[in-house]
Amino acid sequence: MRLRNLLIAAGLVSCLVSIGLAISSAAADSLPVSVKEAAKSQYVFQSQKADNSLCLSCHVAEGMQVELDSGESLPLTVNQTAFESSVHGTNQVACVACHTDISSFPHPERTTETLREVTLQYYTSCKQCHAEQFDLTLDSVHQKSLAGGNQNAAVCADCHDPHTQQRLTDAETGQVLDRARLHIADTCAQCHSAIYDTYKQSVHGTALTQEGNLDVPTCIDCHGVHNIQDPTSATFRNSTPYLCAKCHTNSNLMLKYGLSTEVLNTYVADFHGTTVLLFDKTYPDQPTNKPVCTDCHGVHDIARSDDPAKGLAVRENLLVRCQACHPDANANFPDAWLSHYIPTTDKYPIVYYVNLFYKFLIPGVIIPMAVLVMMDFSRKMINHYRKPKTVMEHNPPPPTADEVVENAKDESGETQPEEFQAPPAAKGSENDHEEAPHD
Amino acid sequence: MSGKITNSTPLARQERTFLRFSVGQRWEHAILLLTGLVLLLTGLPQKYRELSISQDLLSNPGQIFLIRQTHHIAAIVLSLLVMVHLARILILMSRRSLPGDLLPTGQDLRDAWHMLQYLLFMRKDKPKFGRYNFEQKVTYWFVFFGIALMGISGFIVWFPVQATQFLPGGVVPAAKLAHSTESVVMAVFIVIWHIYHVHIERLNLSIFTGHLSEKEMRDFHEKEYERLTNRPEEGK
Repeated sequence: MRLRNLLIAAGLVSCLVSIGLAISSAAADSLPVSVKEAAKSQYVFQSQKADNSLCLSCHVAEGMQVELDSGESLPLTVNQTAFESSVHGTNQVACVACHTDISSFPHPERTTETLREVTLQYYTSCKQCHAEQFDLTLDSVHQKSLAGGNQNAAVCADCHDPHTQQRLTDAETGQVLDRARLHIADTCAQCHSAIYDTYKQSVHGTALTQEGNLDVPTCIDCHGVHNIQDPTSATFRNSTPYLCAKCHTNSNLMLKYGLSTEVLNTYVADFHGTTVLLFDKTYPDQPTNKPVCTDCHGVHDIARSDDPAKGLAVRENLLVRCQACHPDANANFPDAWLSHYIPTTDKYPIVYYVNLFYKFLIPGVIIPMAVLVMMDFSRKMINHYRKPKTVMEHNPPPPTADEVVENAKDESGETQPEEFQAPPAAKGSENDHEEAPHD
Repeated sequence: MSGKITNSTPLARQERTFLRFSVGQRWEHAILLLTGLVLLLTGLPQKYRELSISQDLLSNPGQIFLIRQTHHIAAIVLSLLVMVHLARILILMSRRSLPGDLLPTGQDLRDAWHMLQYLLFMRKDKPKFGRYNFEQKVTYWFVFFGIALMGISGFIVWFPVQATQFLPGGVVPAAKLAHSTESVVMAVFIVIWHIYHVHIERLNLSIFTGHLSEKEMRDFHEKEYERLTNRPEEGK
C-alpha cells in the first residue's frame, strides 16, 4: 500500500515538472525578436534602420530655438546636409540613439536649466557605441575636474560635435587621419587658447600650423587623447624623458631633420638624467629637483637649438637655464654639461682624451698584472709539487741540502744569511736600535 | 729606518719579530681599507645603476640620498686621512728624517727583471728585497696616485659650480668620467695585485699586527734583515 502511494506521488511530480519545463521554453521562444537582438548587441540603434525623418521634419527649420531657465537660448536646428555627411550620418545613427529621453511628441518636460547642463545630460550617450574611448576619459584630468564640480571641464561633445563630426581615424588601422591631425591643436585651443598661442610659436607648432608638417607632435602626442593626465604631476614630469624620446630616438624621423638620436642616452648618462630615471623607475610619483627635458628646452615654447633668443646652443641662453638651479654658475659652467654630444676631438676634447687614456690604461694595467700574478702563482705551485720536502719544513731554521746548494750557486757574494740564525733570542734583547719606527 | 726587535711576547719568547709598521701606520691602513670599501660599495651601484642589484640598493629616493651621503662622508674621512699622511711626510721631510724606502729606484727595475727571469725559469733564485720590494712600492704608488685622482675628480663633481669658478666647464664631465673609470681600475688592481700578494702568495698580516717574523724577514726582505741584524758589519 505505502509503496504504491509513493509511486503515484513520484509520477505526479515528474509530470508537473516536465509540463513546467515545456511551458517555460515555449515562453522563451515567444519573446519579441527585437529584445533578443538588444540583449545580444549594444549597437542596437545602429542595427535598426535609422528613421530620422520624423525628427527632421521639425528640426530642419531655420532659427528654431528654445529659451532655457538660465536665459540662454538652446538652438534646436539640425543642419541636415552636415549631419548626413558626418560620420554618424553616414552610419545612419538615429537621433534617438543619443537623445534617449525623447521618444515621442510632445517631448517630455526639460529637466536642464543651462546650455552646459544640456551637453552634460547627453555626453554619457556616447558610451553606448564608444565604450572604449568613454572609459578612457573616466581616468582623464577633464573628468576629474568635472567630478570636482567644474562644469566647464571638457566632455565628449566639446571636442567631437556629434552632429557634424567627420571621421578622425582610419577605419582599418585606427591611425589618426592626416586631415584630422592638422586640426587637433585647434580643438584643444577652444579652451587652452593661451597654450595654443605659445605652441604656435614653438619649433613644433610653427611646423604644424605654417607648413602643415605632420611629423611634429601636436597636443595629443604628449598629453594623450581620451585619458589625458595631469601634466603638472611628478609622475608626468619624471616620465618626460621617455615622452620626448618617443620621437627623438626615432632615427628615421630625426635623420630627416638632421637631429641627434643620442639625446636620451646622453641625458641618462649624466647626473640629472641618472637621478630622474631612477625616480621614474622606482617611485615615479616622487618629485625630484633634477631637470627633465622641458626644464631646459621649455614645454610649449620649445625653440630650435640655434634660435638666438631661446636656443640652448647659444651659451648665454643655456647659462640662464643652468642658473635657474645653480644660481652661482658662471660662464664656464654650461660646458659642464655635454649638451647631448658624445665627446670627440672637436667636441669636449678633455673628456675624449680622458676616455682614450683609460682605454689604454685599463688593459695596460690589468693584463700585465694578471699575467704576473698567474706566473707567480704557477711558479709557486710548481715549486710546491716538485720539492714537497723543501716546502714542508716551514718552522725550523736548518736549510736543506737543496737550498744550500742553490744559494751557493747564484750570486756568490751574499750567501751567508743562514748564519744569522745563530744569534737569535739573545741578540734580540741586547740589540736595542730602538729609534722610533719610521713612517 | 729601523726595525725594532722585540722578544717580549710571552708565548713565543724565543721567536724574534721585527716591527714593520707603527701603530699610526696600521691605523692609516685600517681607515683606508674601511673608507675605500665604503666608497666602493656606495659608488659602484651608482656607476652600474642599471644592474638589478644596484636598483635594489637605489630602490627609493631616500636610499639614493643615503647612499650618496654615505659616499660623501667616507670621502671626507679619506680626505682627512690623506691630509694627515701628507702632513706627516712634510714634517718628516722638514726634519730631514723621511725614510726613502718607498721611493722607486733603479734597483726595483733590476729586481723586477730578476723576478721575471725567475718566473720564466731562467733563474732559480728570487731577488733579495730590502724593506719594501718593488711589488709593494707599485702598490703604494698606484694607490697614492689613484686616491689623488679620485679625490680631485670627486670634489670637482661634488662641487661643480665652485670648480668652474676657476676651471673650464669641460673638466666636470672629464672628472666624472675619470672618477668613474679610475674607481674600477683601482678596485681591480687591489683585487688582483694586492689581495694576491698579501693573501694568496703568502698571508701577510703585518699591516694589522705590525710585525713580521724572523723567517718572513729572511724570506722576503733579506737585505733589510741583513742590514738590521748585521748592522755593524754593513759597509754600504
